[in-house]
Amino acid sequence: MPADPAVVSAAPETGIVLAPSGTPPHPLRAFWKHFAENRGAVASLGVVVALIVVAVLAPVFAPHDPYEQFRQFVLTPPAWVEGGSWDFVLGTDEVGRDILSRLIYGARYSLFIGFSVVAVSLVLGIVLGVTAAFFGGFYEIMVERLMDLIMSVPSLVLCIVIVAIIGPSLTNTIIAVTIVYLPRYVRLIRATAKAEKIKPYVTAARVIGASRFRVMFVTVLPNCLAPILVQAALGVSDAILEAAALGFLGLGAQPPTPEWGSMLASAREFILRAWWVVTFPGLAILITVLAINLLGDGLRDALDPKLKRS
Amino acid sequence: MTFATRLLAATILAAGLSTAANAKTLVYCSEGSPENFTPALNTTGTSFDAARPVYNQLVEFARGTTEVSPGLAESWTVSDDGLTITFKLRSGVKFHSTKEFTPSRDFNADDVLFSFNRQGDPNHPYHKISGGAYDYYNDMGMPDLIASLEKVDDLTIKMVLKEPNAPILANLAMDFGTIHSAEYADFLLKAGKPEEFDQVPVGTGPFSFVGYQKDAVIRYRAFPDHWAGAAPLDGLVFAITPDATARYAKLQKGECHVMFGPNPADLAAMKEDQNINLMSQPGLNIAYLSMNVEKPPFDKKEVRQAVNMAIDKAALIKDVYQGAGQAATNPIPPTIWSYNDAVQDYEYNPDKAKEMLAAAGVTTPMEVDLWYMPVQRPYNPNARRIAEMMQADLAKVGLNAKLVTYEWGEYRKRLQAGEHMLGQLGWTGDNGDPDNFFFLLGCAAAREGGQNLSKWCNKDFDDRLLQARKLTDKAERTKLYEEMQVIAKEEAPWVTIAHSVVYEPTRKEVKDYKISPFGRHEFYGVSIE
Repeated sequence: MPADPAVVSAAPETGIVLAPSGTPPHPLRAFWKHFAENRGAVASLGVVVALIVVAVLAPVFAPHDPYEQFRQFVLTPPAWVEGGSWDFVLGTDEVGRDILSRLIYGARYSLFIGFSVVAVSLVLGIVLGVTAAFFGGFYEIMVERLMDLIMSVPSLVLCIVIVAIIGPSLTNTIIAVTIVYLPRYVRLIRATAKAEKIKPYVTAARVIGASRFRVMFVTVLPNCLAPILVQAALGVSDAILEAAALGFLGLGAQPPTPEWGSMLASAREFILRAWWVVTFPGLAILITVLAINLLGDGLRDALDPKLKRS
Repeated sequence: MTFATRLLAATILAAGLSTAANAKTLVYCSEGSPENFTPALNTTGTSFDAARPVYNQLVEFARGTTEVSPGLAESWTVSDDGLTITFKLRSGVKFHSTKEFTPSRDFNADDVLFSFNRQGDPNHPYHKISGGAYDYYNDMGMPDLIASLEKVDDLTIKMVLKEPNAPILANLAMDFGTIHSAEYADFLLKAGKPEEFDQVPVGTGPFSFVGYQKDAVIRYRAFPDHWAGAAPLDGLVFAITPDATARYAKLQKGECHVMFGPNPADLAAMKEDQNINLMSQPGLNIAYLSMNVEKPPFDKKEVRQAVNMAIDKAALIKDVYQGAGQAATNPIPPTIWSYNDAVQDYEYNPDKAKEMLAAAGVTTPMEVDLWYMPVQRPYNPNARRIAEMMQADLAKVGLNAKLVTYEWGEYRKRLQAGEHMLGQLGWTGDNGDPDNFFFLLGCAAAREGGQNLSKWCNKDFDDRLLQARKLTDKAERTKLYEEMQVIAKEEAPWVTIAHSVVYEPTRKEVKDYKISPFGRHEFYGVSIE
C-alpha cells in the first residue's frame, strides 16, 4: 500500500539525480531537498520559526508590559528618529504603550488565531469531506450545498455578519473565520477522497475486510494529505489577514488587547502626525502574511513537483 | 434625428448645464445616519441636525446664539401668574409637498396641537408610531407641566401650565418642540402607512426633504416659499462620513464645505490650510462617566468617590483632548450661568482610592464593565481611548474593567435601560439654561429608559431642581443650582470628564456659517461664493 503517492512519485526523480546506489532516500529527506531548492521558502521558514519563537517567549523578548501606559511618553517616536528613546525602540502609541512590546505580544494573538482557525477547520473539513465522499447520497448533497451557501457570500461580509450576531471577541473572531474558511477544506478533501476511493488499493483494503471507518481515515485519508497541507499553510495567512481586518473594523479582539489589526485601527487618526503608530503593526501583518504565503508556496512545490515544472 | 429634435436636445442639455453651474449646493460631511426625521423621537444631535433643515418650532434660537426668537409663533404673552402663555401664530406659512402629498392649507393651530399631543396623549393615533418613546418630552417633565394646550382660534394657541416654569420658552425652542403638518399625518394615516411620517418629513423649514440613503447621503432642496424668505442656497446635502480623517480629506478636496468634528490630531494642519477656515468656541457641553447606582458596589457613595480619585483626568485632557478641552468639575460648563467656582474636584490619588474601596468593603480585584461610545462626539473626541486609559487607571486600584460598546443607537438605549456599571456619555446643552443640564441627574429622568444614566435619585438634589424650575428670579435659581453642584460632587454619580472646545472647519468659500453653542449645524442663512 503506498503511504503517500505524492511523495513517492517525487522520490524516483531525486533518486536518479542524487542516489545512484538505487535506494530511494527517506521521503522526508527527499521533501527537504526539494524544499531547500526554493531560497525564498527557506528564508520565510526562518521568519515563521522566528515569529513563533518570539510569540511563545513574548515575556522574555518584550522590553515592557504591553498594557502599561507610560503617560509621560505618549507618542514618542522610534529610537532612531529625533526625539526618540532607546527605552521605546519602535516608539509609543497614543496612550504611551510601547509599540515593540505590543507587536511581540500581538504575534501571539495573530499566530494563535491563524493556527487555531486552520486546526479547527482542518478537523471539521476532514470529517465532513471524507464522510461526504464515502456516504454520498443526500448527505453529500446537503454538505455540498451548505458549503456552496457559505462560499456564495464574500468572506469578510460573512465574518462581519457572524461576529455581529455572536458578539465581538477573540474567540468569536476565531469561530467566524473558521466558518468562513471551512468550505475550501471540505470541498478539497471531498474531491481528493472521491478520486482516491475508486483506486484498486482501496478496493483491496475493502476486500480483506477493513471496516468502513478504517478505509476512510486510515487507508484513504493519508493519501489525500499533500494538497490539504498546502491549503492549510496558505490558510494560516488568510486567517491572520481576515482576523486583522475584523480587528481593524473593531469587531475582533477588544481593547486593550494588542492585536495587530486593532492596533492599526486605533492609530488611524495619527497617520499624518505619528507615522510609526500605524506603520509598524501594518509591517508586522505584511511580513507575517508574506512569509507564511511563501512558505506555503515552497511546500506546494516540494510536495507536488509536477506542478512546479509546469 | 431631425434638426428640430437635435435643437431641442441641445437646448435641454444647455439648460441642464447652466442650472448645474449656477446651482449652489452646500455639502455637509456629517458623522452618522439619523434614526428618523422626527426630532421628538430622538435624542442625538446627529438626528436633530438631519431634521432641522426641514422644520421650525414655535420659538427658535437665533442662529449661533442662545437667544430665543420668534419662529412659527409671531409673538407671545405670558400671564402675570406665569401660568398661561398665549402664542400668536404666523399666518401664510406654507408646508412642503412630496410626490404624493400636496398641502391644501397653510400652517395653523391644528399643527401645533398635533405636534404636542402626539407626544403627550397616549391615545393619540400617532403616539405609538415608530417606537413611541418621547425621551425629551418626558425627561424635561412636560407631562407634569402642561395642564392644557388649547386652540383659541386658527392662529392662536393657549398653553396653560400647572406651575410657573422659568425655562419653558427655551424648552419649546428645542427640537422636540418641532411643528409637524397635521394634514400630512392624516393623509398618511388614511393611506395606511403612518410610519412614513417619520421617514419622509414634511415641514415648514427652509429646505424640503428630497431623499435619504442610510449611511450614504441625505438630500434637501431649498424651499422657495419659506416664510422667512428662500435660503441663499439651492440645495443642501449631508454626506454621511463616519470617519474623521475621511471627512477632513473630503473637506480638503472640496467634496464637502462644512465638516463635523475634526480629529484633535488634525487641528494644527487645519489651521495652516489656506482653503480652510477653522472656527472654534468653548463648547456648551460635558463629557462624563456615569456610575450606575443600581449596580453594586456603585450604590455606595464612597466607591463612586474612589473611582473619581482613581482616574487621572489631567492625562485624559492632555492625550485625548490634546488641549482642546478643560477638565470638568461640575455637571455644567463654566460658560453657563450659576456655575459654582467654589466646588473642588477630587484629586487624583490612587492610593487613597484603594483605601476607600477597601473601607467600603469592596474585595479587589473586582470585575466591572466600562462602556464607551462607538462614535466621536462634540464633547468627546475618542471615547475608546478614554476608556483604555481609564481601564489602566482603574486596574491600579484593583478594578478590572471590561470594555464594552455597541452600535450607537443600541448603545444609548442600553445605557438608558441601565445595563452598564460604568458608562461614558456626554451632553451638549440645547437651550442654554442650567436646568437643561441638571435634569440629567433628576429623579424624573432616572426611570428605566430615562436619560439619567446613573439612575441616581437624590431627594435634596431633586427638590432643588424642581424648585428652581418654578422660580423666575435668576439670583434665587443661581443659589439653588450652586447648592446642587455641591451635592452632585459629594454624591458623585458621575466622573465629570471634560468640557471640550468645539472646532468647526469650513471651506473658505462658505459665508456666514456660525458655530452654534448647542452643537447644532444649521445652514439657513449660509451661502457659498
